[in-house]
Amino acid sequence: MAKNIRYGAQEDMTEIDKILSEIVTLKPVSHIAHRVIDLCCDPQSSLRELVEVIKYDQSITANLLRVCNSSYFGLMQKIVSVQQAVAYLGLSKVANLVVMGSTAYNFKTAQKGYDLGEGELWQYSVASAIIAQDLAEKKRLGNISLVFTSALLKDIGKLILHTYVKDSFEEINTAVQTRGLSFIEAEKEIIGIDHAGLGAKVAESWNFPPVMVDIIRNHHNPNRAPSDDPNTPIVYLADSICMMIGVGLGADGLAYRYYQEIVNRLEFSSHDLQKTIAAFWEKIKGVQELVNLSGGGR
Amino acid sequence: MKNLVVGVADMKLSDDPEVVLVTHSLGSCIGLAIHDPVAKVGGLLHYMLPESSFDKSKAQKNPYMFGDTGIPLLFKGAYGLGAKKGRLRVIVAGASHILDQNGLFNIGKRNHTLLRKMFWKNNVMIDFEDVGGTANRTIKLEVGTGQAWLKTSGTGLRKI
Repeated sequence: MAKNIRYGAQEDMTEIDKILSEIVTLKPVSHIAHRVIDLCCDPQSSLRELVEVIKYDQSITANLLRVCNSSYFGLMQKIVSVQQAVAYLGLSKVANLVVMGSTAYNFKTAQKGYDLGEGELWQYSVASAIIAQDLAEKKRLGNISLVFTSALLKDIGKLILHTYVKDSFEEINTAVQTRGLSFIEAEKEIIGIDHAGLGAKVAESWNFPPVMVDIIRNHHNPNRAPSDDPNTPIVYLADSICMMIGVGLGADGLAYRYYQEIVNRLEFSSHDLQKTIAAFWEKIKGVQELVNLSGGGR
Repeated sequence: MKNLVVGVADMKLSDDPEVVLVTHSLGSCIGLAIHDPVAKVGGLLHYMLPESSFDKSKAQKNPYMFGDTGIPLLFKGAYGLGAKKGRLRVIVAGASHILDQNGLFNIGKRNHTLLRKMFWKNNVMIDFEDVGGTANRTIKLEVGTGQAWLKTSGTGLRKI
């Protein structure tokens, strides 16, 4: 249960209040990245607006062109403008790259409570976002930019919670090992809030679209999402696959729940699972390059 | 000492006593380390999936992705550097799964079952094994001494 803490002469704060008060220590996304996220999440929007939004921002454009010209995409021709990037990669992927380039800075630090070194959470986030994007494309389900962006930012709560996980790690680990709790259930029980709930609070405080806030909140509990929502199951499945592959895994390991019914809902077979894992290996070097270009890594 | 990192779907062999073979972040994958203390030869394989039959072209491109193609190459490579089967110390780690993950979707268990079948068929004994559960594992092997180390989620390295 959450503890009451007394801060000098100040009024009592619960531990949860104290944790939530740390949201302001994260650097919010830029106005332009925020606009891109809004466009990604709005099914009515024409992503063509995206070009108008970003083409006058030199920093975003320079970063976008650098990533577009990386070996990950392996384009034959050098990309020199936003318009050209859109022509080659499509609007959704360009939007994804803009969000990636604009959010990496928060993820560069180490999260010691999760036993993650500098850049490792970013590596995990980029890998799961790419898997989510691929799943949405192959299954022709969901909104590609929304699942990419949500998968990329789903663990943002860990950036604050890791110090509390570090302080309570023995207790959390014992609950996982002896009582069969998932890591997130143990976080909630012992600290009072889990990283998904806290991540949703961060996303809310940054005025992210409600649909994305919900995906972040439910990314380990996809059963809580509406049954006709394909986006949360895709982000959940991508996260599960990433854990299995192990890229950027932390102290929480694979101690999360597996919901076969969610995987079935996506008509995703065990053969598809093996294909996705094998296909990821072919992208692994490119993923590392994207990580290095945008944030860090091992 | 110099660390030689074995990536995902990768294998490294060495007879350099200064080399430490290491593989990080084993989730459902298996890390298989072998060492001959007389020849001072070590090898480490990190494979992702059990059987190559589902995608032979991928196995041709990278045989270390699969257990059934990677394991023979690890042993043959070590023999090529002078190792002898009877002297090998064999260490297995990984094969974790997500909670409640069962059947064909439990890749960790399938990776481990494949290894056990191949070892049984070829009379290979395992000296140390730490598999299953939900842990994230790292293995290190010092080629010069054969000393191996295991790191499991949230704990430090321990000698094995």
